[in-house]
Amino acid sequence: MTADAFLFWFLALITIGGASLVILMKNPIYSALALVFTMCGIAALFVTLDAFFVAGVQIIVYAGAVMVLFVMVLMLFDLKHEVEAFSKGRITGAIKLATAGLLAGLVMGAIFYSSTAVDTVITKQLAAASGDPSKQLGMRLFTQHIFAFEALGILLLVVAVGAVALARSKGGTHHDQR
Amino acid sequence: MGQDILEITINSVKLILIFLMMVQAVPILVWLERRGSAFIQNRFGPNRVGPLGLVQLLADAVKFLTKEDFAPDKAVRSLFYAAPVFALIPATLAYAAIPMSTPISIAAFEAFGSTWGPYLFRVQGYEIGVGIVFILGVSSLAAYTILMAGWGSGSKFSLLGALRASAQVISYELALGLSIVGVIMMYGTFNLSEMIQAQQGPFQFSAFGYTIASTVDWIPNWGIFYQPIGFILFFAAAFAESNRLPFDLAEGEAELVAGFHTEYGGFKMLMFFIGEYGHMMIAAGLATTFFFGGYGIPGITAQELQQVIVGWGYADQTANILNAVLHFLMYNVKFAIFLWIFIHVRWTLPRFRYDQLMDLGWKTMLPWALANTILTAIVIYVVAA
Repeated sequence: MTADAFLFWFLALITIGGASLVILMKNPIYSALALVFTMCGIAALFVTLDAFFVAGVQIIVYAGAVMVLFVMVLMLFDLKHEVEAFSKGRITGAIKLATAGLLAGLVMGAIFYSSTAVDTVITKQLAAASGDPSKQLGMRLFTQHIFAFEALGILLLVVAVGAVALARSKGGTHHDQR
Repeated sequence: MGQDILEITINSVKLILIFLMMVQAVPILVWLERRGSAFIQNRFGPNRVGPLGLVQLLADAVKFLTKEDFAPDKAVRSLFYAAPVFALIPATLAYAAIPMSTPISIAAFEAFGSTWGPYLFRVQGYEIGVGIVFILGVSSLAAYTILMAGWGSGSKFSLLGALRASAQVISYELALGLSIVGVIMMYGTFNLSEMIQAQQGPFQFSAFGYTIASTVDWIPNWGIFYQPIGFILFFAAAFAESNRLPFDLAEGEAELVAGFHTEYGGFKMLMFFIGEYGHMMIAAGLATTFFFGGYGIPGITAQELQQVIVGWGYADQTANILNAVLHFLMYNVKFAIFLWIFIHVRWTLPRFRYDQLMDLGWKTMLPWALANTILTAIVIYVVAA
């Protein structure tokens, strides 16, 4: 086994192990921490693909910002009900199993489909790509995909404004001084 | 890591050396902090043990190592013990990516019946193409160690301190990240070594097709002259990121006992301590790299210095190593100045109130950082056209 292959299997094991811990842990806090672990594993996998910028952004955005908020919110909750909801209920259990099966089927289908269909496309793009990859990413993002990029930006802005509006109506930290 | 056994060995040793450098700098900084605070407050500070009180560090280390190792009854033991260990990782990983001197190139040589080299050793743990993205990403993981410690301690003070600290860290990360976007745009790279390369030589830039240069040699081409607002924002945010005064709300003694490390003592406490100093060192190293030319010596570029040393009668090989040593010293001088500013500020400014801290971060520093980014973009677009 070459070093690259070993690295891939090692990181894949860590990532999948972390991901399964997310759903196997009873306490949501451990699930969230395991998800952080998974994110870091995915970032490392990006590094093995030479996608350094994507790896860095993966860590900054998901592991560094989004998940910290998740963990903070979880820590403030009274978790007893959530722990019970995670582990009890026959009908919800059946629904959970069905959803998990559906998702697993989708993932497997996607893997089988991509292993046959994607090969040709990858080689074509690799041949075209040259120079600083992060610069290329920026070029492509701000020319070819500018509409999707701006639309996503507006969506996030709407979400942020909505969150602030909701939080304020239930009393925030900064009360009106009147 | 390298092509052959020698290169791999040296690169591995380098990683350990940089970690040891970081850890060994902590006692010296603690000594400096205690003596410095005493100097500022008209006291003596630790001056009994050894010359200038320097051996006090050793006594402290022995004390930390021999203290009783305990965990609170209600603690989540796995998280409680994991947190201090994880506190060291982000700081170490990030610091190892900062270049500290010019690369040392070793020509091919014969030994043990085979040819070795040529090699190029960088005076840093590892060179990463997107250096700054990596450093920001890794050091943003420090919030988890705080949360793990706060939650794992099973104490209300710890949890509140952890929530405060992590909210502060992620709030200021935004300002920190945006304040250096201007620098990244100006140099057009994420790579720290390339940024330092761009800051070598005397002050000079081209605008509207003209080249504007300083008439004297010793004014360096440093980032601070192009990004003064960026530097102020970066440095202020760095204080908040490393939980230092005036932003050390995480351990507001009057309100929270000691924040997230209330329940920690002995060596576990020391590891948090090293982590905090590590973040200080990253901030100092990055400020040096972005705004003060990194390892560059003002008034002379690395190539010119190489020529000068060769002129003294050394061989190319030796001159190259001497060159790296001189640049390494220069880096450490700048680095030490920033660390001293960190310490001086701690004993000069009082602590912010928490809502003031959040207002400063979100309502003052973030808009200024955004304005700086937009202004830099416009200037680059207009001037370079």
